[in-house]
Amino acid sequence: MVLCMSRSWSSIDDFEAFLNNGGIVESDDSMPDEYRLAVFRFIELHANSEQMGGLTERDWIPRTPGLRHKMAVIAKTQDEFGHAHLLYMVAADMRIKTRREMVEDLYAGKSRFHNVFHYRAKTWGHQVAIAFLVDAAALASQQAVFKNCSYGPYRRILKRIISEEGFHMRLGEDRMMRIAQGTEMQREMFQQAIDDWWWPALQLFGPDSKPNDMLLRWHIKSERNEVLRDRWVQKFVPMLQSYGFTIPDPGLRFDDDEDRWVAGPIDWAPLKKTFANVGPDSARRISEASAHWEESAWVRQALAANKTVNELVQA
Amino acid sequence: MNEISIAARDVILAFVDDEHLMGQQHTEWIGVAPFLEEDLAFASIGQDELGHAAMLLEALVGTDDADIDALAFYREASQWRSCALVEVTLPEWSDTLLRHWLYDAAEELRWQLFQGSSVQLLADISVRALSEERFHRQHGDALLDVLLRVDDAHDRIMASLHKVLPLALTMFDGAPSEADALVEGVISGSLISLLGDWQQRVDHRFGPVDWDQIVRPVLSQRKERHDDFAPLLARMLEVLDLDRTVTW
Repeated sequence: MVLCMSRSWSSIDDFEAFLNNGGIVESDDSMPDEYRLAVFRFIELHANSEQMGGLTERDWIPRTPGLRHKMAVIAKTQDEFGHAHLLYMVAADMRIKTRREMVEDLYAGKSRFHNVFHYRAKTWGHQVAIAFLVDAAALASQQAVFKNCSYGPYRRILKRIISEEGFHMRLGEDRMMRIAQGTEMQREMFQQAIDDWWWPALQLFGPDSKPNDMLLRWHIKSERNEVLRDRWVQKFVPMLQSYGFTIPDPGLRFDDDEDRWVAGPIDWAPLKKTFANVGPDSARRISEASAHWEESAWVRQALAANKTVNELVQA
Repeated sequence: MNEISIAARDVILAFVDDEHLMGQQHTEWIGVAPFLEEDLAFASIGQDELGHAAMLLEALVGTDDADIDALAFYREASQWRSCALVEVTLPEWSDTLLRHWLYDAAEELRWQLFQGSSVQLLADISVRALSEERFHRQHGDALLDVLLRVDDAHDRIMASLHKVLPLALTMFDGAPSEADALVEGVISGSLISLLGDWQQRVDHRFGPVDWDQIVRPVLSQRKERHDDFAPLLARMLEVLDLDRTVTW
């Protein structure tokens, strides 16, 4: 028999010393309220983003060109909803909101999700760009969290998520290469997708981290936003250019002395709009999700009367 | 690979098209099902049904994706052999759940027709498909076990049953060369021969149905399409039709 003991710390200094020594916090620990809330908000944002990302991708599943191609895209989208499923459970374990409360807040426009999912995938090229550029950006962020994350349940879930996101990125890369080697029509479609998604994907990393960023201090994140963003730029600028595509950044230049790409000035106004849920497609995305949720309420109400299934749906 | 006769091709295509369109219809519910576990279930079941279609198509044209897609997508409407149940658009969740249950109850019986097929590949495919179908049926039954016990949900489900049943009967319409395929040993029975077993399953699940009151569909040996087929196919072809010669 294993006896699990809840741990507690006498002060925030003791707690931070524990974190700085590589300590891992578990859900039944008496963690400081500030830490619990910060971790919860971070995971809720991640869960909401997986959910809304799945909704963005689902729009194109029925139109996917090819039978087995469609199966691969379904599997990818299933993974995204699966990630949301896992993350909502980890977040719910923190006893701040239930899964239902998180989903209902999301569909009421009361909580946040990543900026990229406030945009609409308008063409198949957009769908590929999401799998290629956006998933790579998300993966880079997740890897940086996984590397040194102090909250154990999140770190363990991230291991699986990162593994699956790696497949998604490779699927996107494979599809991008097919298009790059295709006809002028295909290349124009993907160039337009790069033009439309480059900046939102780059902004996914967020503005430069503040000196007192508590997510870094408490080892929830391990790398600064600007470091992750720059790493993404160094990878994707030469890769896209090697396939003959252009980057929609008039300020982009190569610094010979530093041997690296330097992005032009970033307009953060579009990102801030998505923080307020007023991005280009926010209203439609949220209202449609909310309408579907309302229409199917009778199913959840019926299941709630059943004890065994109830636990699953309510958690 | 066994040589596929015209009759075998005919009955295989009838199953291919049903599986393909059933999988396609399931994909429309991914992300908008009543709760997350259902999003995942419909994604999984949809993949399985599309996978069954792909395996059957391999028996006809081999493993190349371009050949599979050419046969799966690029036929005139009159050349499709799907039934109305999988062609119709059902925007209500209760109708969709009923279609899922009714289709899978018949699908299991349909795969059993291939178990001793003279085309060995079909017999092999049926083993895998039947193992997956067991889970599909469990999924539908688990939901119905709960929903049928709650008054409001029960009423919705039963209304959907009577709405979908006439469409479901089109599943038992045989392809034009079905009789020849039976003689050749490709299948061990006709689709209509499954109707009695399937009706018993329906009666057992939902209570006795007055089958005489269910409107019988006009059968066309699967040569005619439901009105919803054209927009459904157009949606499936939206990207492919940008240029049918390219690879995506």
